Amino acid sequence: MDVFLQTLVSGVLTGGLYALIGLGMTLIMGVMNIINLAHGQLMMVAMYITFVLFHYLGLDPYFALPVSCTFLFFLGVFIQRYLLNPLMQVESILPENQVLMTVGIGMVLTEICRFIFTSNYKSVPNPYSSPTFFIGGISFSKAMCTAFVLAVMFTVALFWFLLKTDLGRSIRAVAQDGEAARLMGIDAERIKVITMGIGSMLVAAAGTMLMPIFYLFPDIGGPFTRKAFVITILGGLGSTVGAIFGGVTLGLAEAFGATYIGKDYEDMIGLIMFLLVLLFLPGGFKRLTKV
Amino acid sequence: MKENAGPLIVLGILLLFPWVITDQYYQHLMILVLMWVAIGSGWNLIAGYTGQVSFGDAAFFGTGAYAAGLLAFKLGISAWWGLALGGLMAVVIAFPFGWICFRLRGAYFALATLALNEVMRHIATIWESLTGGMVGILLMQTFVSKIPYYYVALVIAVIAVVTVQLVMQSRWGYYFVSIREDQDTAESIGIDTHYYKMISLCLAAYLTGLAGSLYMNYMSFIDPHIVFSLHDISIMAILVGIVGGVGTVYGPAVGAFVMVTVSELFRTGGFGLVDSVTKAIPYPAVMLAAKYIKEAHVFTFGVLVILVILFLPNGIVGDWPKLRRGLLFWRRQKA
Amino acid sequence: MKRGLLCLVAAFAVAMIASGTCLAQGAKGEPIKVGVVLPLTGTQAAFGEIEKNSFVMGVEEINKAGGVNGRPIELIVEDDASKADVGRSAVEKLISRDKVIVLTGGYASSVTYAMAAVAQQRQVPFVVNTGSADNITEMGWDYVFRINPPVSEYPEGLKGFLQEVVKPTSVAILYENTLFGQSGSKEFAADAEKMGLKVLMKQGYEAGGLDFKPLLINVRAANPDLVYMISYVMDAALLMRQAKELNFNPKLFVGGAAGFTLPEFYKNAGDAADNVFSATLWTENVPFPGARDYYDKYLTRFKSPTEYHGAEAYAAIYVVADALKRAKELAPKAVRESLIDTDMMTVFGPVKFIAYGKKKQQNRLPTYLVQWQKGMLETVWPKDVATKPYVYPVPPWKK
Repeated sequence: MDVFLQTLVSGVLTGGLYALIGLGMTLIMGVMNIINLAHGQLMMVAMYITFVLFHYLGLDPYFALPVSCTFLFFLGVFIQRYLLNPLMQVESILPENQVLMTVGIGMVLTEICRFIFTSNYKSVPNPYSSPTFFIGGISFSKAMCTAFVLAVMFTVALFWFLLKTDLGRSIRAVAQDGEAARLMGIDAERIKVITMGIGSMLVAAAGTMLMPIFYLFPDIGGPFTRKAFVITILGGLGSTVGAIFGGVTLGLAEAFGATYIGKDYEDMIGLIMFLLVLLFLPGGFKRLTKV
Repeated sequence: MKENAGPLIVLGILLLFPWVITDQYYQHLMILVLMWVAIGSGWNLIAGYTGQVSFGDAAFFGTGAYAAGLLAFKLGISAWWGLALGGLMAVVIAFPFGWICFRLRGAYFALATLALNEVMRHIATIWESLTGGMVGILLMQTFVSKIPYYYVALVIAVIAVVTVQLVMQSRWGYYFVSIREDQDTAESIGIDTHYYKMISLCLAAYLTGLAGSLYMNYMSFIDPHIVFSLHDISIMAILVGIVGGVGTVYGPAVGAFVMVTVSELFRTGGFGLVDSVTKAIPYPAVMLAAKYIKEAHVFTFGVLVILVILFLPNGIVGDWPKLRRGLLFWRRQKA
Repeated sequence: MKRGLLCLVAAFAVAMIASGTCLAQGAKGEPIKVGVVLPLTGTQAAFGEIEKNSFVMGVEEINKAGGVNGRPIELIVEDDASKADVGRSAVEKLISRDKVIVLTGGYASSVTYAMAAVAQQRQVPFVVNTGSADNITEMGWDYVFRINPPVSEYPEGLKGFLQEVVKPTSVAILYENTLFGQSGSKEFAADAEKMGLKVLMKQGYEAGGLDFKPLLINVRAANPDLVYMISYVMDAALLMRQAKELNFNPKLFVGGAAGFTLPEFYKNAGDAADNVFSATLWTENVPFPGARDYYDKYLTRFKSPTEYHGAEAYAAIYVVADALKRAKELAPKAVRESLIDTDMMTVFGPVKFIAYGKKKQQNRLPTYLVQWQKGMLETVWPKDVATKPYVYPVPPWKK
């Protein structure tokens, strides 16, 4: 029973962090329908910022949150405005050029960070003196719990933002039908830029939260981008609550797979789930609940 | 015939190449280029012409490589038979691959191919009893000289390019392009899109698998990480296609040449030019610059990709008129 | 404009003269080219850096002392980007274009394996100094020599300790899914059974994982006496941190060298690293002449500590220089024959290439057991080289 409960806790907490990573991507994919293969690299940049702030200014990683989020917001805006939006104008045979642009951007970001920080592993020690607390013999990692709570908070905030504010509604309009939105007077280009900024900001939060639990090196982005896709597809494009669902589902699947099948199958389980959802439930969780 | 003059001249140069350039290192590079011509052409068929942008071509490459390797390793049959078999095995894999992925469109299709690529890689790593896991497969090369490998690679590359040209000039070619342009309309006028997508994929898989078994024979060492690599094979295939020019016959050939040359150029620092300069001027500043140039090969690659996509979205061949205008314009400016 | 040109020419001339005088000290004459392939970029760049620095330091010392019969050694370093195919290209380039007569280096097992095959085929001797998969010296390749012990021998130092002090009855083996991990775990499982230990679990994992708790929970439920882990540094740190978080207390944790002996391990695992044992191939306290000196020299010059990989590299270049000095002529075949007769002492230990078991041209060295005690890596077994007594039984994690 112990094994089961501990695995459950592990899965849910990791799932929260995954959800935060996926939140940004689901927003971007939902609104602009582009695959951003540089998502993990954006998270990497946020993690380096957190590291620098800690190392040189002694700033607690949790307080680095506003800094990394702001920086990544502007980075996202920059990328969308100068690198991705122009692609819309360009005549090309394949619409997938945008994806490859993100591949190029990802490579450049990785190498710039490698140049500045070298390939050595960097880390920020856990700010809590005792990193866990126990409930009935089950260990809970404080840092993971904080990340989970923050993920929920961000999801709720994003949900409210999309539902209640003007800007949020404009974003949803562009997501539903870009042409119609433009006809209604919404500057779709500007909305896309802002959305990219918000999406990047969310993944920055995820990165900063991840720093005390994990470690950092320039090539860290790839696997997390893939996890973000799985979560996005599971939860449904553009669905904020779907991201939480997707994240926790992935976390649980990985945890239970690792415990009961074997940790070397961990990645495969995520991938197979991904394929199954793509094939049999193409709208993701969103389709089941209309959220 | 006149329009084929250019490519035929290039073919002539390629035939004579290893006798003129005897440096084994450059021969090695050309073999890689030819291999990528085949892979790029395969990708171009399914993605450039049929519009199904696959992110998982490494699945076919790896299958071809392992087919050849396992034949030699487990059954003791020469890995050269693997050349014939590798392409076929890849086609066998193409069937479930297509069945899973073709019901999806656009971004979803791309993601599904990516996922399948990774699944194949994990299977190869975990199924140690079949593939040897991370120990990989090591064979001894049959020839010490590179020349036989060069000609085999050349034959494969020519097969790839000619196949693409013949297919695209045939009825199949029309069907592929119509699927790319508007799949639903094509379906509604009676084209069995699923059938033709599968054909396109099988052809692509065959060419890519062939390249994979060549890789096994030539490099003589493979492991799941190398041949099923998302970044080094699948994405590289896409870049070769895009930089060269999607939807053109010779695009992948140009793309292969550019990509391999650029990446080696930077990795070796201008093929040793940077080192010679550093030896002549041993200032710390020069040495630092040299070190960074050599380590920046991935960075430059990324920048190249961004620039090509921004300014030459149809690749070098596809946007050749634009590129020529740009170069001439620049030259006129200088005068 | 003319003045600028004059200045440039003058600067150039000064540079030429300066470089000329640099070479005037120590060895003169045409340099002998030695090829080195290391991961200078990619995921293993940190280790490639330590090895490169050690090679450079070694070559400078050798050249200052007169080089090889008066001729300096010139190191040509190539990057394998932590990838086997790039490693192969690098070896091809070194052999075809740079015409090196001997190769050394080789960090990751799979990359080294692929490169050794090329060296064997092109008949240029390759002195492996780090790649540890057993099969590298089991292929019967007469142009391949290896200084470092194969991964199957890493736990030799541990065995004595286990048999005399701990006497465990069961073991759980965790390993990363690479050539190093897969082959090392297989070997250790076989060794464990020979020692009468029951192997309760043998579980692989993809390196770079975030949450090892599901895995560790399973291990804890199996209740082994000994947990043996083969990982690189960050996974090792996470494994220990999370084991502590789960309050998992087997009789002892032992690492299979690699990640467990690096200073980064302690930096990242913090007090979760305390009392963790590890096999190791070398520490600065081993009783070989120059070991401590090498450690101090490296620390002073490069401002960060070295460890066994660096010692392997440093020793390798000395072995190569020695073989070059004794070679009948400076050509690959003669260098190979000279290498066969190697019998010398280095900071890494005695080097003599022998054949045993399935292996050929392999150097045989003892390995040691170290333990992290209060943030310092102390040698604890065999007793005659121990710097501090071992701490066993290990106290459980304080809650």
